[in-house]
Amino acid sequence: MHRDRGTVRRVPTGLILGVVLVALAFLVRALSPAFAGWGLPDRAQDTVTLALSVIIESAPFVFLGILLSTVVQVWLPHGFLTRFLPRQPLLRRASISLLGMFFPVCECGNVPLARGFMVGGFTVPESITFLLAAPILNPITIITTHHAFGFDDGILVTRIVAGFVIANVIGWLYSRHPDPDSLLTPDFAASCARPEQDGHEHDHPHPPAAGRMQKSVDLFARETAVIMPALFVGSLLAALTQVFVPRSVLLALGSNPVWSVLAMMALAFIVAVCSNVDAFFVLSFGSTFMPGGIAAFLTFGAMIDVKMLALMRTTFTTRTLVQITALVALMSAAAGLLVNYVG
Amino acid sequence: MSADAGTGSPKQRTDNRTRRHAPDWSGRLAERWRGIGLSLVVVVATVWLGVTGQLGLYIHPRYFGFTLVMAALGLVFVVASFVVPAPATGQSRSPRRNTLALVGSAVLLTVAAVAVLMVPPATLTSATATQREVNSGGLDTAEAADQAATLVGTGDYERLSVKEWVSLLAQSDDPALYTDKTARVTGFVLPDASDPENVFYVARFVVTCCAVDAQPIGLPVYQPGWSNSYNTDDWVEVTGFFAANPSATSTNTLAVQPSTIESVDQPSDPYVY
Repeated sequence: MHRDRGTVRRVPTGLILGVVLVALAFLVRALSPAFAGWGLPDRAQDTVTLALSVIIESAPFVFLGILLSTVVQVWLPHGFLTRFLPRQPLLRRASISLLGMFFPVCECGNVPLARGFMVGGFTVPESITFLLAAPILNPITIITTHHAFGFDDGILVTRIVAGFVIANVIGWLYSRHPDPDSLLTPDFAASCARPEQDGHEHDHPHPPAAGRMQKSVDLFARETAVIMPALFVGSLLAALTQVFVPRSVLLALGSNPVWSVLAMMALAFIVAVCSNVDAFFVLSFGSTFMPGGIAAFLTFGAMIDVKMLALMRTTFTTRTLVQITALVALMSAAAGLLVNYVG
Repeated sequence: MSADAGTGSPKQRTDNRTRRHAPDWSGRLAERWRGIGLSLVVVVATVWLGVTGQLGLYIHPRYFGFTLVMAALGLVFVVASFVVPAPATGQSRSPRRNTLALVGSAVLLTVAAVAVLMVPPATLTSATATQREVNSGGLDTAEAADQAATLVGTGDYERLSVKEWVSLLAQSDDPALYTDKTARVTGFVLPDASDPENVFYVARFVVTCCAVDAQPIGLPVYQPGWSNSYNTDDWVEVTGFFAANPSATSTNTLAVQPSTIESVDQPSDPYVY
């Protein structure tokens, strides 16, 4: 009885506070156009518009990624995912690189998901493999790429094969690392270690649903605390480069077999378009750039761009990200050049 | 602003509860409310844009459903995190890092709240268009070409949009094809970089995913001294017929010779898809 009353009293305070804050935010938003005439200069206005468009486009995927990650960490039995994977490391990573087929989250959502996988028992190289492969090897990306290019010039096949190979080669390289935990930021390495301690405390096989709800909400708070600032900063960087780096500089390089590849990779890095729609985006460059440039754009851009690096920095050290970026860039360029010279 | 000011109350709550156990309450406070605050800002902005029909200023309509559903779910989690008490876990850090975390989070949240909740929603301007090549090709999708072909078949040229004209011009710029045809199109004024004095584009942005990938397209209009009557970024409806472009320097071989140019309001859906 006593406990019931306590719960009933506590819930409304928080609920009312939350609802009032949300209502207040709506009110501010609804009233703001009334003080129009902010008179922002065009470039500043466009920077805000572009950054906001990336945030509004990506935030739902981030939420979806966090929700799936929560399902993996809180609602599925511990080790549920790893149970079905082969034990042999090479085969295991190859299977992991196809997991994106079941979690078509887009690359921004893959970061919280990969974090969830690591907490749930994946090794560091395994999650790197997932993180690099999933944006390309997922049904939405494959369908949109096919829709945009069909089987022309081997662009679709190159993208799929290169995505698989690059993710697995990098996963293999890092599996030889003597101390994979040192690839992670200290904060994240610590939070990976924590759930195991929790596990000893309440070890019963079916924790009560209320406890799981609380854990899910807590995970939402923790993951958004890390991912949302990165998303904001990454989007702002992407918007600033869009507004201040003229795209025509890159377009001048389109018809040279080597430069077209490098220019398209640079473009992919700064535009930071989601992998499941970048094929439509790059379609408009199809007449200016050689197919190898397009293939390199679709391979490199899906794995690495300015926004992704900001997101991945939440989990991996700068040193690791520099290595991964260099490796992905080299192999994507190789794939692009192969298409231009051989295809 | 409001979201930032609002987190003040939970601040005190967490503070009172944890101070005795841990000196690093400021770091925990930042960790607990930073993500929730930013999520609140994004979710409220998304729902509001959806309700007022302005989401199209930022993303392609094919994402409206997914985005709004996830925003609603996000809203549930945001409110739920006020209901569920924060666990007393968290890493200990140096006092300096904790203060940094708190100040950084407060600044980020304030900037985000102002930019997302207070700056009026806006379409992209010519500042972005000039960074990108106009009519850079590839925009002649099968659908636009089919639509254009159908409309050309009926002889109803005035119904062709900027995008449909551009796709027709991309297929052929033979003046004979266009001589007797009248165009009536709406777009914003964008100077032709190769002859900004005499030629401007009636321009639109084509969006495939979100505003970041917006590409400018436009029909060149030959009107010497246009800048005396119109400003860049003004929305206009231009009626006229195509002819060889008299401009000596413009890279466009054809241009619209306007019979009327009228100022119009910005359409509620400024982008084309």
